[in-house]
Amino acid sequence: MHRVGVEIGGTFTDLVAFGPDGVSIRKVPSVPARPDEGAFAALAALGMPIAGIGEFIHGSTVATNAVLERKGGRLAFLVTKGFRDILLLQRHDRTRIFDLFYKKPEPLAARADTFEVPERIAGDGSVLEPLDLAAVGPILRARLAGRYDAVAICLINGFLNPAHEEALAAWIAAELPELRVTCSHRVTGEFREYERATATTMSAFVQPVVDGYLGRIEDGLARGGFNGHCTMMQSNGGRVPFRAIRDNPITALLSGPAAGVTGAVRQAGLSGFRDIITLDIGGTSADVALVRDGKPDWARETKIDGLPIRMPMVDIVTIGAGGGSIVWSDDGGMLRVGPESAGALPGPACYGKGGTRPTLTDAHVLCGRLPRDARLAGSMALDGDAAAAAFGPVADAFGRPPVALAEDAARLADGNIVAAIRLVSTERGRDPREFALVPYGGAGPLHAARVADALGIQTVVVPPDPGVVSAYGLLVADQMLDETRTRRTPLDEKAPDTVREIAGQLTAGLKARAAALGLEGTPEFEMSLDMRYVGQAYEIDVPVDLAALDGLDAATLAAGFAVAHKRIYEHGAVKGKAVEIVSFRARLRLPQGEVPALRLGSRTAARPAQPIRIFEGEAWVDAVEVGRGAVATGSSIAGPAIVTDTTATTYVPTGWTAEADAHDNLILRRSA
Amino acid sequence: MSTSEAMSANTISALDQAVIGQSLLAAAREMGAKLYRSAYSTIVREAKDASTGILDATGQAVAQSDELIPVLVGSLSLTFAGCAERYPIETLQEDDFYISNHPYHGGQHLQDVFIFMPIFWQGELIGFSSAVAHHLDIGGGAPGLNVMATDVYQEGLILPPSKYNLHRDWSGGPFEQLVANNIRVPDQTIGDFNAQFAACRVGIARVQELCARHGAATVKAAMAGMIDYCERRVRAAIAALPDGEYVGEDAVDDDGIGETPLVVRATVRIKGDQMEVDYTGTASQVATAMNAPFASTISSTLGCLKGVLTGPDVPFNEGARRAVKITAPLGSLLNPRFPAPVRARMEAIYRAYDAVVRALGQAVPDRVIAPGFDSTVATCLSFLDQGRYRVYLEIHNGGYGASAHGDGCDAVAGPLSNCTNVPVESLDMDFDFFRIEHYSLRPGTGGAGIHRGGNGSERSYRILKSGVRFSIYADRFRIAAGGLADGMPGTTGSCTVYRGTQVFRLKSKDNFPLEAGDLLVLQTGGGGGWGDPATRDPAGAARDLRHALVEQMAAE
Repeated sequence: MHRVGVEIGGTFTDLVAFGPDGVSIRKVPSVPARPDEGAFAALAALGMPIAGIGEFIHGSTVATNAVLERKGGRLAFLVTKGFRDILLLQRHDRTRIFDLFYKKPEPLAARADTFEVPERIAGDGSVLEPLDLAAVGPILRARLAGRYDAVAICLINGFLNPAHEEALAAWIAAELPELRVTCSHRVTGEFREYERATATTMSAFVQPVVDGYLGRIEDGLARGGFNGHCTMMQSNGGRVPFRAIRDNPITALLSGPAAGVTGAVRQAGLSGFRDIITLDIGGTSADVALVRDGKPDWARETKIDGLPIRMPMVDIVTIGAGGGSIVWSDDGGMLRVGPESAGALPGPACYGKGGTRPTLTDAHVLCGRLPRDARLAGSMALDGDAAAAAFGPVADAFGRPPVALAEDAARLADGNIVAAIRLVSTERGRDPREFALVPYGGAGPLHAARVADALGIQTVVVPPDPGVVSAYGLLVADQMLDETRTRRTPLDEKAPDTVREIAGQLTAGLKARAAALGLEGTPEFEMSLDMRYVGQAYEIDVPVDLAALDGLDAATLAAGFAVAHKRIYEHGAVKGKAVEIVSFRARLRLPQGEVPALRLGSRTAARPAQPIRIFEGEAWVDAVEVGRGAVATGSSIAGPAIVTDTTATTYVPTGWTAEADAHDNLILRRSA
Repeated sequence: MSTSEAMSANTISALDQAVIGQSLLAAAREMGAKLYRSAYSTIVREAKDASTGILDATGQAVAQSDELIPVLVGSLSLTFAGCAERYPIETLQEDDFYISNHPYHGGQHLQDVFIFMPIFWQGELIGFSSAVAHHLDIGGGAPGLNVMATDVYQEGLILPPSKYNLHRDWSGGPFEQLVANNIRVPDQTIGDFNAQFAACRVGIARVQELCARHGAATVKAAMAGMIDYCERRVRAAIAALPDGEYVGEDAVDDDGIGETPLVVRATVRIKGDQMEVDYTGTASQVATAMNAPFASTISSTLGCLKGVLTGPDVPFNEGARRAVKITAPLGSLLNPRFPAPVRARMEAIYRAYDAVVRALGQAVPDRVIAPGFDSTVATCLSFLDQGRYRVYLEIHNGGYGASAHGDGCDAVAGPLSNCTNVPVESLDMDFDFFRIEHYSLRPGTGGAGIHRGGNGSERSYRILKSGVRFSIYADRFRIAAGGLADGMPGTTGSCTVYRGTQVFRLKSKDNFPLEAGDLLVLQTGGGGGWGDPATRDPAGAARDLRHALVEQMAAE
């Protein structure tokens, strides 16, 4: 049976399939208005009977788009009496601090649809004011009946004691069964009422859209005779069955970049690189993430359309530097690249679709790194004269020849990418020199070597077919479930018992969820603690070794925390200062086991080396251009060189060499 | 600047300038993120009442974090000058630091402690790494907040501009002991000092990395280039304004004792690419803590100009001050004489901000907003629990003014600050002497107009133990934010204690002992409206309807 991964992006829908005869790759245009059509178009392009697919793995921005376009269900929101305005008050800080016309992000449930319920749970989980359903029931019925698709419930301290949320949910299920109910303690077990309320309303809001979308996918597959499993990528880099996404769709937000990291980890791991920094450069943005020992660093919170979502996810930093990023000069005479992008339309000037402003892609064309007769994404020819014309005005402004300014722009973009990598490395207390850089996406391999140079990174690992690494990631991802619980616990001699107790509860809960989802196999468990000094507001992630849980003592926990604090903040370990555990996190992982690697196919160009000229630094230099298929395993090419692939081009600067290894990864090393 | 430096400043390539400039800004941001994320006091960690930056070898600010709060923008150089005057730069060695919180030597109020550490590369001084943080308690007459001080000595421990050595004097040394023994919550405050030093070390490391990569001369040239760049962009923005003289005025409610409004007047003169902001006509200094040190006046003025004149991508540094001359008469509310108290300086500089916005509104009406609630409403609940002080300081936010572009933002940090509110669930975990019972918007408190002002908010605290002490300083309890272009004014704020059938209305600057069972209700006001209310904008009206903000406006 085949395993098929389909990743829907803004421009292209990518498909990677594993079967008895190896790996197949397809790239078709996306259908933004009806993304499921793009998915089936990719399947049709594969030309294989759907009945022959055993597993369908999906990555899609459908949940994110529902939030961005505000196309979700009619939503009512229930809160504790006194707190109707949680969603409008928000946190009061401004993301653009000098913007006089600042607007807060618009919440997903309106104040007119927000209703207060008399009840209150205290900070220790005890009941301060009981919930009186006999009194509340008739009022709720009058307000909710016939007006809504879904109800979100977020009560103060509901994460500590979910009794009132559960009682309300049970009452609605019995009395108004047409309403779908989402409770905050099921979406996230974490404190901070605005953030939890936002996650809860977002989950409830996108749920009907995601439900319908996944239903159409399942129906379409079923019509083709499909009888296998469907899973979807999550933002934590793992997969879950469609059913789990339908229950809590916010885990599917931002899953695309996470899939790419997962794919890069697997492919680089084949060549023995387990400490890597991933660099995905597409048309409008660059995404970077840091991976240690094969595990991506993770983040607690991200924002979608300004709304904060707290849940464990791969820690990815995105900046506006992609192939379409515009090169410009500001009114103070500073050279700038992005964040404005020419997008897919008109696109870079060299696409010949009417774009007249210079972009990074145009810069690479001018400098000879994207040969003018190359065809991007396999089909698009490049107009070098248009690229040169586009650079004319901005080059004049700096008194530089167009090609020199194009090179400046490319190197400035390198600088911006370096800053993004510093955010996930030096800023988190990691030294980038201890990592290999793994570039992918259409433009990643064009920038990687010089970015590595600036960071002191010695090795760059370019996967085969860098343009489909994200779709590949779908197929290699483990299945993963996460559970978090906030329980503020002082770090004293009793703390290890609490850790053991909550670890037992969380893993039992995860096992029950896995069983309910029909997941098979032997699960692995991971655990970490959010810890801080008493008085701090931001927690630090401290891993706990579950194998050594029985012998866990407070000193071990304290030492782990002190090391992490010192690494991140460069101060820490204060004698006698009280430490506390705030939240407990557990993860269930079902390893995907052996999967085929990405390999260079027969489709990959095997063009023999030919001499070209490229502009590098301040001058034109002699270089070679070679098809990736023509670089034999074990043989190496000295820079300056350009290695072309079906989905991306790799730039090997002077001072670097490229060598193809046994896994078809192209390894770039500094030779000077 | 020496000739060779001037030459290198001229010869640095556009690429190096852009890359090093961005790196310096990124370093300042990284310093800031580390500072507030590892801080102990709520005022730094939630209110981000802190700032970080890189200065050049002469102490001119080059790059400042733009993710912390605006009020500390642009005054690093002033505080630095106070230190360098007493302890010349040439005497500094690695691991030395300058420190100051002196309001009359370039500082702001005593709670804001400025630290500067020199950056050396191969024995050469390259610049300075700086971190300032608002400390929860700096000693003085009352925990956290002493609104009744009559001079600066009562407001806390004064750290005059001075030079110490980190290893010798801090880290368990005599200076650390001196500070720790003069403040009430040394655990948190010393921790926040350590976070400042750590942030400075991050800045030092980043600049040294840049020197290793680009060479010290290029880095120094890029620093000079960044200051020039800022000056060029600010001058370009000023040149786009019509020449002329524009006057704006607003007023602080009172000095906390009397009932006389304290007028703040700004005269903005624009000629070509040069601007002058003159606060002549502003009320004289007062006996209470409402005075603003001159450094605060400069910061707020520059913060205002950045908001009105330039896009968010213009990094502010010393270059802005070259294009803008700021003066305030000595002895006035905005430039008081030593030793006048200054703790509550924010109210006066908010009015300075509003006065400048009003003046600029005459030159460029589309670029400004109506005055907002624009006040620092700082409340402090403190409780002496078994010999240990527990202090909870909170900043409350009202509505923004409306503009030609739309309604004012509801309940959001004032333009000179960027304070978050503290999660109710976090307070439930942290404090056992009070509990938040109610937290809401105040619909209808924003001034009406084509576009309405932003609404204020209301937060109610149930006091759970007797002996809790409450203090507050605030403004716009008597004088509401005015409207613009026929818009209506916003609404004032208030603070009330309900005890059984008794009702105590507190003043905007007040202290009050609380008892178990009391309900403390804090209200902030709304911003001014823009345009004639009779022709309310349909899009704004529709949003108000969706959020049921309309019905209650009528009902209240």
